Amino acid sequence: MPTDLAGGAAGTVTATVERGPRIAAVLIAFGWHLVINLPAVLGNWPQYRLPWVVGAGWLVFSAVGLVAAVNLLRGAPSPTWPLVGVLLLVDVLVFACTPASLVFDSANFGWATLGWFVVLLLWGRRIPALVAVLAVGAAIALVGILALRGAGAADLSRYAMAVYGNATLPIAMMIAVNLLGTLAGSTARAAAARTAIETERAAAGRMHQSRRDRLAALDRTAGAILTELAEGRADPADPAVQRRCALEASRLRRLIAESDDVPDPLLHELRACVDVVERNGLPVDFVAVGTLPPLPVEIRRQLAEPLTTTLTAATRWARLTVVGQPDEVVVSLTTPGTSTTTAEPGGTGDTIGRAGDDFSAVAGEVEYVYEENEELVWVQTRWRAA
Amino acid sequence: MGADPVAGGMTPERSRITVAIVDDHPVVIEGIRSWLATEPRLAVVATGEDPDRVLAADQPTADVILLDLRLRGRMVLDKVTELGGAGRRVVVYSEHSDSDTILAVLDAGAVAFLAKHEGREHCVDTVLAAASDRPYVPPALAGAIVGDRRTGRPVLSDKEREALLLWFQSMSKASVARRMNISEHTVKQYVDRARIKYARAGRPAATKAALLARAIEDGLVRADEIGS
Repeated sequence: MPTDLAGGAAGTVTATVERGPRIAAVLIAFGWHLVINLPAVLGNWPQYRLPWVVGAGWLVFSAVGLVAAVNLLRGAPSPTWPLVGVLLLVDVLVFACTPASLVFDSANFGWATLGWFVVLLLWGRRIPALVAVLAVGAAIALVGILALRGAGAADLSRYAMAVYGNATLPIAMMIAVNLLGTLAGSTARAAAARTAIETERAAAGRMHQSRRDRLAALDRTAGAILTELAEGRADPADPAVQRRCALEASRLRRLIAESDDVPDPLLHELRACVDVVERNGLPVDFVAVGTLPPLPVEIRRQLAEPLTTTLTAATRWARLTVVGQPDEVVVSLTTPGTSTTTAEPGGTGDTIGRAGDDFSAVAGEVEYVYEENEELVWVQTRWRAA
Repeated sequence: MGADPVAGGMTPERSRITVAIVDDHPVVIEGIRSWLATEPRLAVVATGEDPDRVLAADQPTADVILLDLRLRGRMVLDKVTELGGAGRRVVVYSEHSDSDTILAVLDAGAVAFLAKHEGREHCVDTVLAAASDRPYVPPALAGAIVGDRRTGRPVLSDKEREALLLWFQSMSKASVARRMNISEHTVKQYVDRARIKYARAGRPAATKAALLARAIEDGLVRADEIGS
């Protein structure tokens, strides 16, 4: 998972970092083609052997460049090799139409401009591909020069200089872009890996904190009764002490159930409470209908906790119901009577995630209703999606 | 075993509501018979494990049929459909009280559903209501309706849903009335109206039509509310 994350982030960062050089490459190619090539072609129009072929060649270069630029900026693939072939063909035609006097002039635009347009097409590929295309361009030029001007030493040295000039800048640019991309990728991967580690650490910290909170809450109440029992201050035969023990056992059971990984955690936690009181001989009618939405542990606690006290104090039977809908969960406990008149939560030191703690901090609200009449004790908690 | 000869031999007064019990466990038949015996308006006239024999033409006609949904290991939902279609008032009772089963039973045309654990009072009240084509919603049935998430389910009003929910939770109409600040009579109306909406849904059955007709007669719903 962290590797995927880092890979994705690296892709994004690389794309962002490369956008500048892409725009620069497009501007250089078209700048050259419009500012230098266009005036040269128009200025020497009458001297070309077939001016319309050269004009058409200039337009074809523009068209290929446009396709390459649009795809490059959109990140879409171009039909690279056919377009490179088209550019080389135009290069050959322009050579054939250029008079010998203008071979080393900008009027012979194909050779000089080839590199910049090929860079657009070969973007992101390895350097040797670019070098190979430029070498083909240089070979065409050599053939052209030999045919047009012969093998004069001066011409050959001018040729060598031109090859050097036409090749170095595009190659240097491509090397720089490739380096930049690699660098950005590794930086982003490192940053993403660091973030993933920090996230994991934070999650582990929160988990640890919530366990400590639960332990602390139990320590106050369960710890107190255990201490009293150990010191002989609490009498195990006293029904009130037995009730407190039952309550703590039930809460302990539910808090342990909270960290279990089960499909319906709320039902699982409630069932844990029911198990404890049923073991003590209280029949519980536990019915769940509908489908429960996934709820965070804080909400589940606010739904379940207020019922625990009443459940453990129930004397004859209890009915526990859960009704779930996507935007509402209602938990209800009814019992004909409890062994204590102060069954209302809060009265017995019940403090874990009590309804009313911090409504605003969680998604939705938990409403709590406690009712006691001659017929029954009724505790109801209801969560509604915010 | 066939129809109970003792039950068949009883001579019910004309004014009493006659009941047939179909169950494959004699002990359950005896239990229900003793429950119903506490209500003088009811008379069990036929019992047995085979619905076709209990309801055969030579048996005394029963106003209400209490039918165990599972007979000899088989769910007899088709039997509910058949009897409901013929206008026989079937109260299905079962230990299978999951919502899907309950809703399927309502759809098939049963007048009511009773969970086996729901006890004597609900049983007697359900049979009495069924005999007069009136709805009775025991808590398990209320739960199934409240939890119904099927597409195309009847649309309940907020009050109807809340009354059903609280009735399902507390099983005490007095407590629901107090909580909702309305009379017990109104609680019952909300719950019954919700039930009647289910008689309008799903496949038509003679029993559903009878429930609807009686609801209109009683003023529980208006004829123009029935719609198509």
